[in-house]
Amino acid sequence: MGQIGDLLATLSLGSLVATGAILVVARKWRLKVLALAIQYLLVVLLLTRIIRVELAAVKGLTGWLICAVFYVTERRVGSPGPPVSSSRSRGDRPWRGEVLSAKGWFYLLSAVLVFVLAYGAALRLPLPEVPAEITLACYLLAGLGLLIVSLNENPFEVGLGLLTTLAGFDLFYVGLEPSLAVAGLVGAVGFMIALATAYLRSAQAAEGMEGGAA
Amino acid sequence: MITGSLLLLSAPLLMAGIVYLVLRWMPSVAALLAAGTSLLLGIAVITLPLDQPVSLWGAGEIAMGEEVTLLGRELVLEPGDRVAVALLFLTASALFLLGWRFSPRSLLFPVGLGLLSLLSGALLINPFVYGVLFIGIGAGLAVFMLQEEGAGPSRGAVRYLTFTILALPGLLVTHWLLERYAMTPDDTGLLTAASVLLSVSFALLLGVAPFHNWVRSVGNDGLPLAAAFVLTVGNGAVWFLLLDFLQSYSWLSDQPLFGPVLLAAGTGLVLVGGLLAPVQPRLGRLMAYAAMVDAGATLIALQLNSSLGLAVALFSLLVRPFGLALMGAGVSGLQARTGGDRELEKLSGLAWRAPWSSAALVLGAVSLAGTPVGAGFVARWTLCQALAGSRPGVAVALVLGGTGVVWGVWRVLAILLRRPASPKDRPVSAMGGSEGVSTAAVLGAMIVVTLVVSAFPGLIASVATSLAETYTPFVP
Repeated sequence: MGQIGDLLATLSLGSLVATGAILVVARKWRLKVLALAIQYLLVVLLLTRIIRVELAAVKGLTGWLICAVFYVTERRVGSPGPPVSSSRSRGDRPWRGEVLSAKGWFYLLSAVLVFVLAYGAALRLPLPEVPAEITLACYLLAGLGLLIVSLNENPFEVGLGLLTTLAGFDLFYVGLEPSLAVAGLVGAVGFMIALATAYLRSAQAAEGMEGGAA
Repeated sequence: MITGSLLLLSAPLLMAGIVYLVLRWMPSVAALLAAGTSLLLGIAVITLPLDQPVSLWGAGEIAMGEEVTLLGRELVLEPGDRVAVALLFLTASALFLLGWRFSPRSLLFPVGLGLLSLLSGALLINPFVYGVLFIGIGAGLAVFMLQEEGAGPSRGAVRYLTFTILALPGLLVTHWLLERYAMTPDDTGLLTAASVLLSVSFALLLGVAPFHNWVRSVGNDGLPLAAAFVLTVGNGAVWFLLLDFLQSYSWLSDQPLFGPVLLAAGTGLVLVGGLLAPVQPRLGRLMAYAAMVDAGATLIALQLNSSLGLAVALFSLLVRPFGLALMGAGVSGLQARTGGDRELEKLSGLAWRAPWSSAALVLGAVSLAGTPVGAGFVARWTLCQALAGSRPGVAVALVLGGTGVVWGVWRVLAILLRRPASPKDRPVSAMGGSEGVSTAAVLGAMIVVTLVVSAFPGLIASVATSLAETYTPFVP
């Protein structure tokens, strides 16, 4: 049972790296929302190592509700970022087949750097009250979230970054304070981030439409 | 029987729903309902006794000081929280009244009421660390009022949300670290980690340089009165939360680095605000930098680590709403004349058409700068006197910071007072000017109240002094 748990934790960690990289690099909103939903599933799997399954499931449900908010908003307003221009420089181009744009490579390398830093931090500064793999997951999610926030100004992406950081912190804090009240309040913070960024995203889309009409 | 804490949490929320429903069809009624509710609750917090229930019109009893348990946490209005909670409600009331004239259809009213509920919850909840989470939820809610209708996404709202959320983990972990330190006082590493986390988290929340970016952005593109709301009511709750931290964990202020860190943070804010205020191309940014200078002075007062320093800091917190509300109203009034254009050059000659808004802007800036005639002068003067002997350089920095703000507003005034080319373009109008009588009356009343506070600061000073005595770490 313990070995299965360890294997599951290792697999979850590996998958978190992948979903984190997708959140940093991908340009398609559907891919990002899907990555966020999977990220919440992986967080739930890791959480089951330190708290009761029921509480972990509640946190997962909150996360998926947040994903639903993003999905509905983006579905209504379209894809984030400026419209694709034919005169755009080569460095600004999005994914073309399997090849990343220069910006995409930069983002990916930054994500790799965050992973290395998170690994180093997990070795040198282990978090109290949580196992080693959770420590790494916390640092990784917090670092990737900060990276997303610092690389973007688009409300949708800033929201994703903040939620990723919050998920990383929650993994750690739930071990220190496993009460339902705190879980509820942290969930409410996450949900409010999603609503606020969705509202700003709608304002952005409305402005784009007005600009287009003019 | 209704308990005070439950009343302060539920009444604004209930009224927020009503105000939101009414806002679309009767914006004036919505604004006045919001202002009236906040005013009544603010007065109730100050006047009703905490130790015994009060019967209101025979309909029911209110026990203001009674404890209530919500989700397993205690909520109680304690004597020390009274002034803080009243300050939030009364400030909000004034801002709603100004919003009635300048942003009647905005979400300022329902969202502001919702925020009042959350922020008073943040101050009333025990253990108070859960208040940090209320402030996080409040930051998300504040985004809805900072975003101007029809404008692009407010960068200020995004940054305010970002910085507030990033501050939460540090504060929550600090609480846990300090609880552990209380059990193992030999482990000083816990205290060091807690101090670092606490400093960074409050620096993020208060917009201390180099984390001041959100303050500038909120002033730059947020709805002006909503920005004033965030910088007074929102930040006011954060300031009192900081004082609660220092009160609960008194050894924090005994740390050798406590004074130097606060001094560096405060001086940095004063210098950044004072140096950048004169060169701002937009009114909102000038308001943000003026608020930064004032916040920096408050931090410098706090680092004195004495009852005088705390009294000066509290006085600054109590009078800051006068300056920021007036500036927010002035910016709103002047922007309305330029069709929403925020560039300074578009304000040319507007003082002749919007004299009350111009006067409000100038008096608000002067108050925040801490110069004579302004409401903040007494606090700044006392602080400079206290610093003159021991740290003359910091006193000079304070004066320079204030001068920078005055220079900035002088520049604005020169543009506002430009005379139109022909005399016929310069309207010479009566009382209300072209701003309307009710706008002139509201602004005039606010200006008079600010001038009265400036001329007779004794009442607020006595409140600040008695409040300072409730914070034991600062009492000699």
